Amino acid sequence: MKLRIGIHGLTSCYGCQLRMASVRELLEVAENFEIAYWYMVSSKGEISHVDIAFVEGSVSTAKDEEELKKIRENADVLVAVGSCAIYGGVQGMLFGKEYEEIFKEVYGDNKIEFEGRIGEPLKKYVKVDYNLPGCPPEEEEIIYYLATFAIGSYPEEKDYPVCTECRRKGYPCVLIEKNEPCLGPLTVAGCDARCPGYNVACIGCRGPLPHGIAWFDSLAKTFKEKGMSKEYIKARMEIFGKQYEKMDEMIEKVFEDED
Amino acid sequence: MRYVKIKDEKVYEFLEGLKNYGKLYAPVKISDKFYDRKEIDDVKKIAFDYIRTIMPAKKFFIPPKEEMFEIDIENGEYKEKLEEVEPFVLFGMHPCEIVALRILDGIYMDEYADIYYTRRRKAGIIIGLSCLPDEYCFCNLRRTDFVDIGFDLFFHELPDGYLIRVGSPNGHKIIDENLDLFAEVNQQDIDAFREFEEKRQRMFRCYGSFDNIRYLLELTMQDKLWDEESEKCFGCGNCTNTCPTCRCYDVQDIPNIDGKTGKRIRFWDSCQFRSHGLVAGGHNFRPTKKDRFLNRYICKNSYFYPLGTSYCVGCGNCTYFCPANIDFLGNLLKVRSTAEEVKNA
Repeated sequence: MKLRIGIHGLTSCYGCQLRMASVRELLEVAENFEIAYWYMVSSKGEISHVDIAFVEGSVSTAKDEEELKKIRENADVLVAVGSCAIYGGVQGMLFGKEYEEIFKEVYGDNKIEFEGRIGEPLKKYVKVDYNLPGCPPEEEEIIYYLATFAIGSYPEEKDYPVCTECRRKGYPCVLIEKNEPCLGPLTVAGCDARCPGYNVACIGCRGPLPHGIAWFDSLAKTFKEKGMSKEYIKARMEIFGKQYEKMDEMIEKVFEDED
Repeated sequence: MRYVKIKDEKVYEFLEGLKNYGKLYAPVKISDKFYDRKEIDDVKKIAFDYIRTIMPAKKFFIPPKEEMFEIDIENGEYKEKLEEVEPFVLFGMHPCEIVALRILDGIYMDEYADIYYTRRRKAGIIIGLSCLPDEYCFCNLRRTDFVDIGFDLFFHELPDGYLIRVGSPNGHKIIDENLDLFAEVNQQDIDAFREFEEKRQRMFRCYGSFDNIRYLLELTMQDKLWDEESEKCFGCGNCTNTCPTCRCYDVQDIPNIDGKTGKRIRFWDSCQFRSHGLVAGGHNFRPTKKDRFLNRYICKNSYFYPLGTSYCVGCGNCTYFCPANIDFLGNLLKVRSTAEEVKNA
């Protein structure tokens, strides 16, 4: 029997869905799964019971929350797709600030028609069964997740960093060689170190490693030794990692003696 | 052992000729600081003065990622995927790398030989090259600074060429088939060889013995040193990935989208990863970063009995390529030293 799946987007760039829609094996996906809902691809369909729901985006409005809860109620398995769904994404870096102040800074006294809030990851609102990391996820990972579900198994989330893929590829290390603020050591692997491969430091777009093994403190200490300021390090690490538990604390600890 | 000499002006011709024996790989500069062994088109690009490569030579025998089987899930069958292995030549192997390969041989080609490794190993010609140590090298402490086995040819630098030791039937064959490129070794060459070796022996960062280091490590595992050092660690696995003897791999079955077929792959793993010590049921033998950090120190300093050397060959890669600046040798020296020595250091 074919698995029934739904693909959903909350507040995000819809890039994860676009990546899913552009996999080379899309026809096989359509053949082997019953796609009950995929708003980006077809406006037909409603949220109804599915075996697996894939959800990209962060919860950034009241409507997002409502929709997410409805998706969860109707799904046996829920997969958070991409950095927004897993950690809140770039919009999630405002976490800890007052929404009203931020809104005013951008929109002044203008009004919008929905109730906005600071973007938060899905896990703050509902139970998430699996994370499919990426910004967006790689084609290989999308297929891997779908295929493991198809055989009645479940995907294994990577718990090693971009660094390892960089070494496996044989790229020069930009952190050692150029003292670049590379976040490869704490960012979850899967991209085959695409940016370091072009001599560009990893910005951490795939999000911090799961299971509490993203060592912001150790990396911040190394950055500090290379002469980077606390503000700079924080700003860089917050882009995709702001809502990683204890990130702030870990960076503060490194600069404790100076404050 | 058979010895011949090659003069500088003949070296490039010889290297060019090596391509007749297989794909030629040699160290080249890949960035400001780093070298790697790459397939050689222009032999003039070979870096003779390199010290270490960012990818150890194990990559030729245990690729970072490889497909092992094709799986037929429906029928419960599998088909081993054995690609044709073309002969290849690794030029410029340093003694520590050659010992490292022998350690891998002992593990991958024991009574239950790994077919993937064995096929590649048999297709590889190993040509050694002498080297001078930098501050990261400590092969002298590991007794891996000079090799008498494990190579087909070994090139020792002379002021006007190389003294070549011939170490295998394949090595003899290469020499015999290119006899006009070689000269006899004369007294001056012998003196130069001796001088080079003496100079080299005087250049290491430290001296003495590491024979008891594993036990000292075990006895000092409670020291504050390990809390401090493991706290610096990113757990990124660079140390094990760049280690020429780290050989742990992970295996994963990847189903295809049809849900009926798939493949089994294996790829470099690292004891620095959380999942390395994770077993069924959720128990983890090394649940903390410190556990994983110490595991590498104990493993590398254990003895590989068939060779009588430690699993660490003293190449210095783990320190040189550590983005957190953790000094492996420095830490071992702290363990070896008495409190008095540390005070005076």
